[in-house]
Amino acid sequence: MKIQSFYLNHPNTLRDHLAKSYRIEPPQAAPGQNTPPLVSPKGQLFAEHENLFTFDGECFRETLPNPEPFALFGVQSCDLTAISYQDQFFANDPYYQARRQQALLIGIDCLSPCQHGFCPSVNAGPGVKHETADLILHQLSTTSWLLLACNQKGLGALEGLSLNPANQPELNDRDDRIASCIEQFSDDSHLKQGITAINQNQVPEDLWQQLGLQCLSCSGCTSLCPTCSCYGTWEQQESNGDIRRQRFWDSCLYESFQREASQHNPTEKAGERVKRFWTHKFGDNFAKEFGRYGCVGCGRCEVTCPGVIGVHSVMKRISSDAQLDN
Amino acid sequence: MATKVTTTICPFCGVGCGMNLLTEKNRLISVEPQIDHPISRGQLCAKGWSSAYGIDPKDRITHPLIRTPQGFRQTSWNKALETVAARLKQIMEETGPQAIGIISSARATNEDNYAAQKLARAVLKTNNIDHCARICHSPTVAGLNQTLGSGAMTNSAEDIFETDLVLVFGADPTENHSILGGHIIRAHLEGTQLIVVDPRRTRLAKLADTHLQLKPGSNIALLNAIIKIILDNRWQDKKFLDQRCEGLAQLTASVANALEGVEKTTGISLPKIEAVAKAYSQSKRAMILYGMGVTQYVSGTNNVIALSNLALTCGQLGRKGTGINPLRGQNNVQGACDMGCLPNVYPGYQKVDNPEVRAKFSQHWKTEVPEHPGLTSMGMTKATLAGEFRGLILFGENPVVTDPDQNLVKRALGKLDLLVVAELTMTDTARMADIILPAASFAEKTGTFTNCERRVQHVQQALPPLGEARTDWQWLAAIAQQLESDQLDWPDSEAVFREITELTPIYSAMNYAKMDQLHGLQWPCSPETPEGTAILHKDTFPIGKARLIPVHPIPIDENIDSKYPLLLTTNRLHFHYGCGSMTRKSPLLEREIPTGLLFINPADANELGVTHQSAVGVGSRRGYIETRAMLTDDLPPGLVCMPYHFHEAPSNQLTNTAQDPLTKMPELKACAVFVQPLEPGSFPRPIDEISGLSVEGVK
Repeated sequence: MKIQSFYLNHPNTLRDHLAKSYRIEPPQAAPGQNTPPLVSPKGQLFAEHENLFTFDGECFRETLPNPEPFALFGVQSCDLTAISYQDQFFANDPYYQARRQQALLIGIDCLSPCQHGFCPSVNAGPGVKHETADLILHQLSTTSWLLLACNQKGLGALEGLSLNPANQPELNDRDDRIASCIEQFSDDSHLKQGITAINQNQVPEDLWQQLGLQCLSCSGCTSLCPTCSCYGTWEQQESNGDIRRQRFWDSCLYESFQREASQHNPTEKAGERVKRFWTHKFGDNFAKEFGRYGCVGCGRCEVTCPGVIGVHSVMKRISSDAQLDN
Repeated sequence: MATKVTTTICPFCGVGCGMNLLTEKNRLISVEPQIDHPISRGQLCAKGWSSAYGIDPKDRITHPLIRTPQGFRQTSWNKALETVAARLKQIMEETGPQAIGIISSARATNEDNYAAQKLARAVLKTNNIDHCARICHSPTVAGLNQTLGSGAMTNSAEDIFETDLVLVFGADPTENHSILGGHIIRAHLEGTQLIVVDPRRTRLAKLADTHLQLKPGSNIALLNAIIKIILDNRWQDKKFLDQRCEGLAQLTASVANALEGVEKTTGISLPKIEAVAKAYSQSKRAMILYGMGVTQYVSGTNNVIALSNLALTCGQLGRKGTGINPLRGQNNVQGACDMGCLPNVYPGYQKVDNPEVRAKFSQHWKTEVPEHPGLTSMGMTKATLAGEFRGLILFGENPVVTDPDQNLVKRALGKLDLLVVAELTMTDTARMADIILPAASFAEKTGTFTNCERRVQHVQQALPPLGEARTDWQWLAAIAQQLESDQLDWPDSEAVFREITELTPIYSAMNYAKMDQLHGLQWPCSPETPEGTAILHKDTFPIGKARLIPVHPIPIDENIDSKYPLLLTTNRLHFHYGCGSMTRKSPLLEREIPTGLLFINPADANELGVTHQSAVGVGSRRGYIETRAMLTDDLPPGLVCMPYHFHEAPSNQLTNTAQDPLTKMPELKACAVFVQPLEPGSFPRPIDEISGLSVEGVK
């Protein structure tokens, strides 16, 4: 379908319209523009704690979620890119898909860089990519917005809303604004150099170990990272005696993440775990499999890491170390 | 189903990080950090991220339980309260109010703690009220009160970013106060000098510019030597000493011989000590952060005084980026102290032995208050064994696991005529109760917590109490009512807080609304300082001039010998909190550290034939446990270390009850033990399985 574009006086008009058929997330009013929320919408699709099945001693019963239709309203490009990444990872996961099928994605273009974000460096923004959203909001002025319907699902959701088609000049303005926003992002040479160093295996082991010493294994980065998808499972007994298997968000930075029953651990050293994490985010092998890097440039890890080994801190250490070597 | 977001404060350590609770259908589904919180700034530690597991309905106590010969039986609140009141009355009539007491909780709110001490003093007429600060920072309160006039962190967390030197003394902040530990890492990376004093090679010690790996128990020897070097080199702050301190002559005289034998006592070379003396005294701004490695010794109070002497000598107090800053273990241990849950002080550290203070509270409460001094928690244990103490109300604490000499504690609790325990889950202490009351968790109540930088923060209710659980001040009020007293009849927690502000000068200008607006208020917050106080002692000390008090090294109580050839110290792990009753409900944290452990140097392990992760037996003069060995050179040879989080392998079977004479702080940081390998391939037996065996029978 060709993208269709309209004028909109305010996002709340769309929001009120959608609220008739969808539960709106987040439930608060106007979407925050230009800065993604600290917590991404990941948990709306890949629940932090989720029942998988119950066992009553004889039968296993699947416990698929059955959510009402919901709209993720005002999602930034980085997080939408992450959802499309997760769509691949969870393509055959019925629990994820049960939620995903009910979700309408309304993106919002960012028009100025956020504090830690670097979406342009990893091809994840700041303008919403058409293939990652159903609808896109773009602010033209305080009283005028563009609304883009990217697919049939998005267009269908607008039914009953009277909208005027947008003209080409405003669509061109959108492109210009996004281009100008990209120019405002600060220097990303440390990221480029870091990515190269990681993929050419140029990061010395002892630098990884130094960074590992700063990893407190808090799980903050993996909890907030919109593309982290590792989970563990456990069984719990219900009050009626049934066994319930639940999955929960796990973190590859825990020492016990890969510890085997024999106590052998292939990634016993914290540095090895930190290296694995960044290799998963910036490794070319992962990029081949998913069509892009695992990092979407949201910068949340930089904020939430108590040990100062979020993305910018790590990449600056790696790139300055590489320069010293040269 | 839409998600509800409630703004509150993390329930674990004393840092007091901002946390949002996400609930759906009255169930906590997730927690998230607050980006705009002044301390945590969008961060949480592993415990904080796992909070949702800690209060999960599974395993929670949801109804009052009463002990019967067949085990615990569910009962009604009415029946439970009637039973409690009847037995309390009986004990009071037969033995008097000195035979009953309350142990309140550093995990509970200020409102809960205020209610607990008021129930004790105004209704039960006893000063027998204490809480677990006894075993963390009672020497801080006692020591800093003598030297500075106030026993709390003098500066604020944000000062870590505005100092030139951080001296971490006997503390392991990246594990126990992880967000502050992270602040120290960040400040250090940005150029702040970092010095760590610790017998163990902690994470910060590995990152630091200097690590003084002193021998356990040599704090005073080291500090006196540092002071001696500073005075000899005229590195002291003369102006500060002249204008704001007294006792310099006595201090100078007392450290005259401090350098003699100090290398041997501390295990640190003189040049290294000199370098630290110079760096600390010559920094424009230097900040001391300290923890249990200072307080948990028989010399605890004197250790604190020695640290205070150092800070005063160098004038590193009363300015941004300086100060002497105890890191407090529990979310509200500062508040429980502030609220007067101590046998010798009323709320706001107003002394029980001051007749004017007693008259003030007596008038406000319109009732007589007791004069006789109260018992500490350890005092209650000993009085019980002596047959002088009979009834105890205890909530939110698990002394069977967390107090030293577990066997002694168990014997005492078993001897009580009445033990009432209010808890979230069936802890080892609750198992010994006559009556168990279901307590509301932090997510199920409204109130305030006071963090270690004296910041009183608003805790908001996100969930209804589970089952019939009640907020602590509410069931305390219900007990008062059963005893025909309306002293605790408040309509809501805000009313409790209003009464606190009426009687507690350091809280007098606080209210919930202002707290919400300013992300908490740091005490003292009075009409003169309506927005609180970030830095104490700027111009003057509460006692006028600060006191330099000479202290001399005191050896540890129990040294090694041929039978117990290794020294045991205790530590805590990032992944667990206290007795583990909340953190061990998380499958992630439980997986991370599954069985309890003993850290041991590879050289000691080799000599004993102990291999990595093999089962070992550990025994002291008081008890014997089995656990797994973790070989690590984070510990020097001769020193082994255990965390106290695990009820299967409780380090407090081993620890020494020898006490700091002033505060009764037990010496949890050093005792003599033996370690022996168990059969290869065998599993450590939990304590319940072992407890039939005598110590002698094992060795």
